[in-house]
Amino acid sequence: MQTFPLPPKPLFRLPSDGKPARASSLLFSSLINCFRLIMATRLQFENSCEVGVFSKLTNAYCLVAIGGSENFYSAFESELADVIPVVKTSISGTRIIGRLCAGNKNGLLVPHNTTDQELQHLRNSLPDQVVVQRIEEKLSALGNCIACNDHVALTHADLDKETEEIIADVLGVEVFRQTIAGNILVGSYCAFSNRGGLVHPHTSIQELDELSTLLQVPLVAGTINRGSEVIAAGMTVNDWTAFCGSDTTATELSVIESVFKLREAQPTAIVNEMRSSLIDSYV
Amino acid sequence: MRLEKCWFCSSTVYPGHGIQFVRNDAKIFRFCRSKCHKNFKMKRNPRKVKWTKAYRRLHGKDMTQDATFEFERKRNRPERYDRNLAENTLKAIKKIDKIRSDRASDHIKNRLKTGKVQRQKEARKQLEQGIHLVKAPLALAQDSSLHLPKIKVNVSQAQTEENQAMEE
Repeated sequence: MQTFPLPPKPLFRLPSDGKPARASSLLFSSLINCFRLIMATRLQFENSCEVGVFSKLTNAYCLVAIGGSENFYSAFESELADVIPVVKTSISGTRIIGRLCAGNKNGLLVPHNTTDQELQHLRNSLPDQVVVQRIEEKLSALGNCIACNDHVALTHADLDKETEEIIADVLGVEVFRQTIAGNILVGSYCAFSNRGGLVHPHTSIQELDELSTLLQVPLVAGTINRGSEVIAAGMTVNDWTAFCGSDTTATELSVIESVFKLREAQPTAIVNEMRSSLIDSYV
Repeated sequence: MRLEKCWFCSSTVYPGHGIQFVRNDAKIFRFCRSKCHKNFKMKRNPRKVKWTKAYRRLHGKDMTQDATFEFERKRNRPERYDRNLAENTLKAIKKIDKIRSDRASDHIKNRLKTGKVQRQKEARKQLEQGIHLVKAPLALAQDSSLHLPKIKVNVSQAQTEENQAMEE
């Protein structure tokens, strides 16, 4: 796993609308001063904690909605600007881009009502390896229907056969039709990257094991944004960063950081101690 | 902004015109004007309504298969913007449009060509049978030519009075 050169940043910022707040407490302050920790960031989009609705984060690019203030965009830019392109866009004139599109480092799928201009803007802003494809599909909220990382995708049970083939072709993934805790909207109730995944809190242990073997990543059932079950709407994650709503509690945040393996390996001993004090049980 | 096709008559719907109907199965129907919308609500099949493009294509009145139709397909995988490509595309659009409309009018012309022979045959028959309506049999006997000469009507009182008498 390559280490990404991160510019030095001010480490303490008061949490307010749209501005990121470090999940660190006084206990971590010394650690942060010594090591460059990649941690999950808490932010808001225009007073809403549903960050996963207004953004889409993958290993190759990041899509951000056009908001009233630039705070949301600059939060992503400060973390990711030198690594991957951060693209401001709308999809079919809306801001809920995270729930309408689905993608990974290989491609991006957008619904049929995406305008030609938006499609062209995406094509121009994203790197050439990313294939941008518009899909003619009755279920147009692709972000709610498809959950994917770079290797595997889970889809809504009622997706068309052609759409499934397009997903396999454009995203370069193996496609599985699954439900999560009885919900067919797999894209909204789980968020997973190449390193780990977080699913709906009411997922049974058998189902967790089943999904884990399908996806080949460790999974944890948990919540986001102070107990919200809609995981993917509350957060967005890739292999090295995560962005959550500002309502996310410290417990939830540490669960996220551990399951997605966002902490760097170096301060393991100290972090392990911290982990055991912060998390009492995994659901 | 996108110029869509009317579902009923296949004409282009420009911005600010028409109605869009979304059915419960998420299929979108766009109509260019209330005429098409009302016909749709009456559950009429556009393939049976004579003035629609669907009917005309189905019954061979208009050109169906042509290479120029391929250019106007909706594309779902865009290409990166290239200024030269855009310029050439704009030039090509004009040319392709002209070619397509020329081919379409040729198609209609060819379709109507076969009718010309038939019409001439009918006209000749009518000439043979109905010439007594135009020229008196006596006058025709004197002038044996079957073809009607081009009659130049001199506007003199005598001539018009004669014609009027004959019409009665």
